[in-house]
Amino acid sequence: MKKSRGGKEFCGFALPGMFCFVAVVIVPFLYGVYLTLTDWNGVSSVKNFVALQNFASVLTDKQFWSSLLLTFKYVIFVVIIVNILAFAIAYLLTRGIKGQNFFRAGFFTPNLIGGLVLGYIWQFVFSRVFVGIGEATGWSLFEVSWLSDPSLAFAALVLVSVWQLSGYMILIYVAGFMGLNQDVLEAASIDGATGWVKLKNIILPLMMSSITICLFLTLSRAFMVYDVNLSLTAGAPYGTTEMAAMHVYEKAFTSRQFGVGQAEALILFVIVAIISGIQVYVTKKQEVEA
Amino acid sequence: MNKTTIGGNKQKAANALAMTGLVIIFIAYMFPFLMVVINSMKEKRDIIKSPFSWLYTIKGLSLDNFVKAFTQMDFPNAFKNSLIVTVSATVLVTLLASMLAYYIVRHNNKFSKIAFALMVASMIIPFQAIMIPLVSIYGGTLNVLNHRITLIFMHTGFSMAMSVFMFHGFIKGNIPIALEEAAYIDGCNSRQIFFKIVFPLLKPIISTMVILNSLAFWNDYLLPSLVLTDKELLTLPLSTYSFYGTYSADYGTIMAGLLLCVIPILILYVVLQKQIIGGVVSGAVK
Amino acid sequence: MKKAILSGVIVIAILAALVAVAVSGCRFGFASNPDDPNEVDTAEPIDTSVDTFQYDPSLEGTSITLLNSKAEIQNALVEMGAEFEKRSGVHVEVMPVTDGDSPYTKVVSLYNSGNPPTMSILDTTDVIALAEEKAADLSGEAWLKEAEGYLTEVNGKVYSFPLCIEGRGIIYNKQVIEETLGESFDPASIRTLDDFVALLDRLVAAGMEEPVSLAMEDWSLGAHHLQYIYETYDGTSAGAAEAIEKIKSGQLDLSTYDRMSQFLDMFDVLMKYNVAKGDPLGADYDEMAIDLVDGKTAFWFNGNWAWPNLEDADAEKDDAYGFLPYFMNNDPDDFVNRQIQASPSKQVMLDGVVATEQQLAAAKEFLNWIVYSEIGQQMLVKTCNIIPPFQNNPYEPSDPLSRDIYNHVHDGAAFNASAIVPNDHWSILGAAMQKYLAQRSDRAELIASIEDYWAQQQ
Repeated sequence: MKKSRGGKEFCGFALPGMFCFVAVVIVPFLYGVYLTLTDWNGVSSVKNFVALQNFASVLTDKQFWSSLLLTFKYVIFVVIIVNILAFAIAYLLTRGIKGQNFFRAGFFTPNLIGGLVLGYIWQFVFSRVFVGIGEATGWSLFEVSWLSDPSLAFAALVLVSVWQLSGYMILIYVAGFMGLNQDVLEAASIDGATGWVKLKNIILPLMMSSITICLFLTLSRAFMVYDVNLSLTAGAPYGTTEMAAMHVYEKAFTSRQFGVGQAEALILFVIVAIISGIQVYVTKKQEVEA
Repeated sequence: MNKTTIGGNKQKAANALAMTGLVIIFIAYMFPFLMVVINSMKEKRDIIKSPFSWLYTIKGLSLDNFVKAFTQMDFPNAFKNSLIVTVSATVLVTLLASMLAYYIVRHNNKFSKIAFALMVASMIIPFQAIMIPLVSIYGGTLNVLNHRITLIFMHTGFSMAMSVFMFHGFIKGNIPIALEEAAYIDGCNSRQIFFKIVFPLLKPIISTMVILNSLAFWNDYLLPSLVLTDKELLTLPLSTYSFYGTYSADYGTIMAGLLLCVIPILILYVVLQKQIIGGVVSGAVK
Repeated sequence: MKKAILSGVIVIAILAALVAVAVSGCRFGFASNPDDPNEVDTAEPIDTSVDTFQYDPSLEGTSITLLNSKAEIQNALVEMGAEFEKRSGVHVEVMPVTDGDSPYTKVVSLYNSGNPPTMSILDTTDVIALAEEKAADLSGEAWLKEAEGYLTEVNGKVYSFPLCIEGRGIIYNKQVIEETLGESFDPASIRTLDDFVALLDRLVAAGMEEPVSLAMEDWSLGAHHLQYIYETYDGTSAGAAEAIEKIKSGQLDLSTYDRMSQFLDMFDVLMKYNVAKGDPLGADYDEMAIDLVDGKTAFWFNGNWAWPNLEDADAEKDDAYGFLPYFMNNDPDDFVNRQIQASPSKQVMLDGVVATEQQLAAAKEFLNWIVYSEIGQQMLVKTCNIIPPFQNNPYEPSDPLSRDIYNHVHDGAAFNASAIVPNDHWSILGAAMQKYLAQRSDRAELIASIEDYWAQQQ
């Protein structure tokens, strides 16, 4: 790869994609950052520069910080459970078991249900199926709808998110397992590596790039959770399950404090950027190149 | 000898256990989807009163919901719109993202580093935070909303970061540079190297990204709702609007509409699964 | 590879079959009833033979847009637009706001895209937020005098067209009450909170264990229940605004304000007889409609917009459903115990920024057509199933809930007070009400949350 061909390659390979990306994501984002420094309410024709006033208002928005704390808790649960589950399922689905393609199609279905239907179906599960089980067995855990108790509603959110996100991550882990160099695995087997040893010493290091990606995706998606939050609990019971992204949206549009909402979105972005930056840095170090 | 048999038995037992676990988890995963299928054939009252029963419904099962969804959504037209947008955007993003990712992996310069960092960071921007700036720029200033091409462009832009990220990881981990160096010595230029050697090796990740991206484009509601208002251009998810009321929702029709919407994606998934298997890298390298 | 295809085919086979049969429209299963009334198109016929409305021929060919945030009348509005186009030559494109977006967000994004709708159907609070900045002044329109008492003014000017009246209260199922008690039921005989409690006790004694359905949704609790404390200040919108100002400034102490404690007295009664008492926050909205129709309960706190839910639950248009007031004390002469709340809800705002003169004129003609033309009047009531706020509209709504509100309004048994509260009132205080409903907070804590909320509003 000679340096002299760099310019031409840049125009041919990198520029078109980069242009799309910058035009659609970066430019509006920068404009959005500018808007946090004004008192624009989303409607008026005048925008007055107010410097950091919106950020000062964020500091006094208690609800934002408590929703952020809840989001942290949620992210920890979701990221860990999703990745372990998706990794294990993808591993099983690439070992040539009977009907694995049928299974894979089934594990894909959570991706197909979104929006109001997702919320409705799961509300049903928590309010009816679980309560039905509770009536039949007398277990107190299922006595009332999970959605009417703050900590159980939180558990319900985690459960549904795990269901939906892992369906997505399975797909990526499956691709990762498929991309593994079979020669290395065979060689390892011949050398007598089995079970956990093989998994820990051979598969995990080779899968590190998939793990980096999946960790990052689950991390960022869990932080940005909005759809599931809105359609399943919408903050109920009594506002205890309102996560950061939902709060930001409510602030900007329901409470009509556009600048403050936008500033909160920016703060959320910075926090997530730092956390996932660290994660990517750490896991990338573990990756081995083919 | 003895030792290996024990190991073998253990292996078998572990396999059986894993299999049982898998089946249980599988049923749990499928359950909501099965609920949608069953309830899409029932009337609202039966859906609410007895969501799980199939046979013992008061009014029986029918496909009326599907007929209603099909006509109210103007299915053929909405399907055509969704198809054009999804296919164009998917092709575009696959091509541009794989090229950009390839460039970033193979050129360790300042641009690559900044571009990659920017992309990774951008993936965590909440869409709600750029929604209003986006429409002000493309609608208020450039006045290009209400065209399919704008939507395609935006879909491409929004999915660029994640696609590059995925391609980047795959190229770095699975495409040996030795192969390209050999081709370079044989006199191939970089374009030929990419399209003839690298691109075919990307099959598993391409299949994955095509599924993930087309799923996202096909099902997306928020972005198309901001870009398209002309009735003739509405995509499938936009066309289900009439099933939702402020205080009541027509669940049977919504579920039937949902199934009509997702069938094409399911078909795509099944077709591409074959590709994922067909494109295993080790086979291609040999 | 063959295996892969095969297994895939199995997964989609069911679905593909579904679609195939769907197209042929066949029916199978048990106990299906071909005479099901729900299958019949219930839209009432419109008499289009008389049309004395004066259309302005110069507007022919104009194209205008209407943003609709009242999803249940989407199809009806499209029909109405088509009928109007047939007669006036003005094309009305109806754009929906749906699931997930709030109408306000949609309007804001459309204004930012430089392509705002000519007309927008919005909630009153949205209109007030946008009026002076974006809306066309409608103060000189002729229909103002037909809608007297239902107009919303912003600094002395009218910027919006009241589209409908909506009312709320305790919905009763007369037949169920009569069957349970074995005697005839006259809603007018219930005149105080004690009367209401006595009725509930008799129903319980007669075997109906929990006669009340109480929704847990935050919009129901935060807007429809809680706003009674402002609206009953003196039963007018001006009074509600005054009450809010006084709460904000601290002049009105909620812990001693009589309407606050009276409201909670009634709410406590509803809580006590709630069918979902064991798990009040697990209550299912759609199931409440079924419970009321089936007679598991006799009362449901809701508004006339609940009719489609009741109809889905197999209620018939000639069934006897109606509203009881939200009883707040034992004074039979207090208006709150005699009247139900009914006020204009959705408003049509015209764009005054981007729309051309021609479009504005066409939009105004459309509004006039709704108020004055024989066809527009009929379609508003019959096609959209709306209670019209216009005195000159001779048509009556056909479903029992709307008809009952209509009769209350025309008999002077309704009070027209709408409290204009900030847009997040329902969600923030709805959460506080949920906490109270779940008995995780007491009156003092609820009142403190309300006071906190108002203290934060500048």
